[in-house]
Amino acid sequence: MAIFAEKVTKTYQSGEVTVKALREAGLTVPDNKIVTILGPSGSGKSTLLNVIGGIDRYDEGRIEVDGQALDLLKDRQLTEYRRNKIGFIFQQYNLIPTLTVEENVEVGRELSSDPFPMEDILGKVGMFDKKDKFPFQLSGGEQQRVAVARALIKNPDILLCDEPTGALDEETGKNILKLLKYVNDTYGTTILIITHNQGIGEMAHQVIRMSSGEIVETYENETLVDPEQVTWS
Amino acid sequence: MILKKSMIRTLKENKFQYAGVILLLLLAVTLYVSLSMAVTTLEERNARFTEDYKQETLHFVPSERIDASKLEEWEETFDITLETRSYYDADLDGSVLRVFSQTEEINRPYIAEGSNPEDDGEIAVSSVFAEKNDLHIGDTLEISGEPVEVTGFVYLPDYIYMLEQMTDLISDAEKFGIATASDRTMDQWADQSQIEITGWSRDGEVPEGFMEAVRTETTILQFVEAGDNPRIQFVDTEIEGAKSMNNTLPLFILALATAMVLLLMRRRIDMQRKEIGTLLALGFRRNELLRHYLGYAWVIGLSGTVLGLAAGAGLSVPLSDLYANYFNLPALSMFDFNPMVLVIAFILPLVLMLSVSAWGIHRALKVEPLTLLRPKEVTVGKKSWLERLPLLNRGTFIHRFRLRLLIRNKARSLYIFLGVMFSTVLLMFGFITFNSMDKLVETTYEDIMTYDYAVYYQSLNTENPEEGSDPFTRSEVKVKGNDTKLTGYGIETDTPYLNLLAEGEKLNPELEEGVVLSTPAAAVLDAAEGEDITLTNSLNDKEMTVQVAGVADVYIGSQIYLPREDFNEFLGYPNESYSAVWQTEKPERGESVYQIEDKQKVIDSFEATSGATRSAVIGMAVFAVVISVIVLTLLTHLIVEENSPSISLFKVMGYHNHEVSKLVLSVYTPVVILSYFISIPLAGLTLGQLMNSLVEQTGFILPTDVSWWMAGTGFIVIMLTYALSLALSKRKLKQVSLQEALKKQQD
Repeated sequence: MAIFAEKVTKTYQSGEVTVKALREAGLTVPDNKIVTILGPSGSGKSTLLNVIGGIDRYDEGRIEVDGQALDLLKDRQLTEYRRNKIGFIFQQYNLIPTLTVEENVEVGRELSSDPFPMEDILGKVGMFDKKDKFPFQLSGGEQQRVAVARALIKNPDILLCDEPTGALDEETGKNILKLLKYVNDTYGTTILIITHNQGIGEMAHQVIRMSSGEIVETYENETLVDPEQVTWS
Repeated sequence: MILKKSMIRTLKENKFQYAGVILLLLLAVTLYVSLSMAVTTLEERNARFTEDYKQETLHFVPSERIDASKLEEWEETFDITLETRSYYDADLDGSVLRVFSQTEEINRPYIAEGSNPEDDGEIAVSSVFAEKNDLHIGDTLEISGEPVEVTGFVYLPDYIYMLEQMTDLISDAEKFGIATASDRTMDQWADQSQIEITGWSRDGEVPEGFMEAVRTETTILQFVEAGDNPRIQFVDTEIEGAKSMNNTLPLFILALATAMVLLLMRRRIDMQRKEIGTLLALGFRRNELLRHYLGYAWVIGLSGTVLGLAAGAGLSVPLSDLYANYFNLPALSMFDFNPMVLVIAFILPLVLMLSVSAWGIHRALKVEPLTLLRPKEVTVGKKSWLERLPLLNRGTFIHRFRLRLLIRNKARSLYIFLGVMFSTVLLMFGFITFNSMDKLVETTYEDIMTYDYAVYYQSLNTENPEEGSDPFTRSEVKVKGNDTKLTGYGIETDTPYLNLLAEGEKLNPELEEGVVLSTPAAAVLDAAEGEDITLTNSLNDKEMTVQVAGVADVYIGSQIYLPREDFNEFLGYPNESYSAVWQTEKPERGESVYQIEDKQKVIDSFEATSGATRSAVIGMAVFAVVISVIVLTLLTHLIVEENSPSISLFKVMGYHNHEVSKLVLSVYTPVVILSYFISIPLAGLTLGQLMNSLVEQTGFILPTDVSWWMAGTGFIVIMLTYALSLALSKRKLKQVSLQEALKKQQD
């Protein structure tokens, strides 16, 4: 599912300070691709992801997902948009601590009219054997795999990943990247990954660089590096 | 929804908090259902007994027997049923058994067990008197030297509250009981029996002109309408009083429980804000999450109400029997079901819980998902005006920290304040009631009424009373512009047997200036010293306007005291006449004596009931403590939970558990103390208001002074309760891990 953004502006008011998080940012994400958004902290990556994901609204400009302008959607329609099209993966996993692995994934499945089979997804993320464990019984990598499964099971068109490997070590992080690559290859899911790990850009079809709320560079990789081989920084 | 599982686990994880709220709700519903059902049963039994067994509309005591033909004439003229009944007060080794002749029309006896006494030498006694005096069916009693056999247990509709004298306040079934016997048995005591005429009218009203007609025929020693008869009325008063109490107390606990639920819900949502943000980001709709979080309110509401309904219904059966025994009402039904009580007890708490929770949840769900996903904004640098007060910026770090925590958690302080207030008021109610009974006896019967016996005569006396006796005239009077009837006492102003005291000052000399009212009379008339009242009487058309010279500390009965001569003149009696005397020597029951009032018996009745009062006070205190422990522990638990990152940080920095507890937990001690001391006068004031509002029905007012021992004992109880709650929460504080601070940093 393609994403198109043009001159998107977003300003935050934090106390007496006004922060311009996005300054006329624009991008085009082709269907079924992996796109990495790189940039230092405060560059506006997360804000861009949030407005694309419909959990935040932008002030000016235009974002269209599959031809649908997000600024025209009311709150209720925005919820339906997230429910039907978007899958979120957070840096801190955000699993529900009182639910088991399987139940956490079920939270995602409940939202979809056409979910993937539970066993398949748990198998794919390698968590089938630990489906009855609670989040506190899992390592960080395992928790992130559950978060991926939760986002994935509802068969979203777009997967938005906010620093998915930010809290993980290299080995675990690369495993998550492999999983994302697999999802993209197998289901054709468009994946947006925001990260400040430059190396992750090597596995993406398209790389977007941001700085101070602006998109300063966009390029496409001619050859994609296998997630195992990305330079970890 | 899969989230249900999360809810169930959260409930299990925080079972103490939720169980506490469920318990509060359960107490409220149990109390409401059990009391309401018991009162419904009492009301139903009273109504059925009154109607089916034809409770009298009136009764009067003539000074001489009235012919049957005269009664028939009156029946025709006034469309009223009249019946003559005799009774004999048998002295049974210190207790009095009033044996009545059996009636066929009015006040028909109900035999609950055994058989009706039909033969000579047979009687049926009231079951509660039998129980207290260890009498069984088949036992033989000796009355005036004659053996009589108990054939059954009886109830009379005009003795639902078994008072020996109309002026008595408390029924003591051990000292006084009723019985019925056949006419042949009654004949044995004919010469010592009293005669009374009972009347019943279809509309329950005394026919107009009836009393005057009787008066022209004979001297009336006593004329009592059912509405003025405490043996009949007290049950209605109790029903009315219980009804208002049944609603007030549970409603207050329900309000506390609802406030706790709101607090818990807000806390839950606050703790799960990131989860909510995630779920919203994943695409959950707000109403889906609202429904999910309302599940907590459903679980609490349903558990509390269903368990409360079951416990309340179960408890109402023994409670109904207790009431029935207290009132000498036959168990015409076991349990009278009032569907409205069940509906209210089920629906009201649920609706309240759900709507309050929905409001709280809805507010939180209005926040954007992104805001929820971010750590909660810390208002660093924002100080309220209170925090800027120089007083709060002095002292040690611990002192300042504690004060700031107190100020920043105003809602918690308010809840603690209200919880302590509720418990204190409840506790003080118990103490005041307990103390008042003693004070009432002491002041009314020892300091003011210094006689031992009051002897009432069949007719007016004009001869000089015997030495040691002091004459007085007693008659009922009305106050113009008010429906209230007062008992008028025409007394010798220098009588040694009645010291009309008001806060230690004797008011007898003031009778030269006007009248003295008892405290209940002043409350009923809403009259104060210096005000004028106009008295009327039914004997003649005379009116008398008098000034209230004072209000005496007589807490029982609506009495008005005035000089005997003035009162006689007002009533149209000869100047020197009197209808009764007070004395200290035990009187003989002669033919001219209509009634003897033994003051000691009245005092004994009070003493006998003090055991029950003591139990009630203990029950009330336990109840107050339970409520207090639940509320305070819930709140202190929440405080620990909310401050766990700070607690953890203090621990990481090297603070000991007791130091952390001092910093975070015992912050609210001043609130507890403040609330306690504010609540004490409030309790006295509330109880005073309650007494005043019920005085017309009860006829007495309890002195509602709070003494030092009450304040001291109450303080110890409340502080121990608070200490217990702190101890319970300290366990939770100890469980806060050192990693908590680090986790919070990550969030």
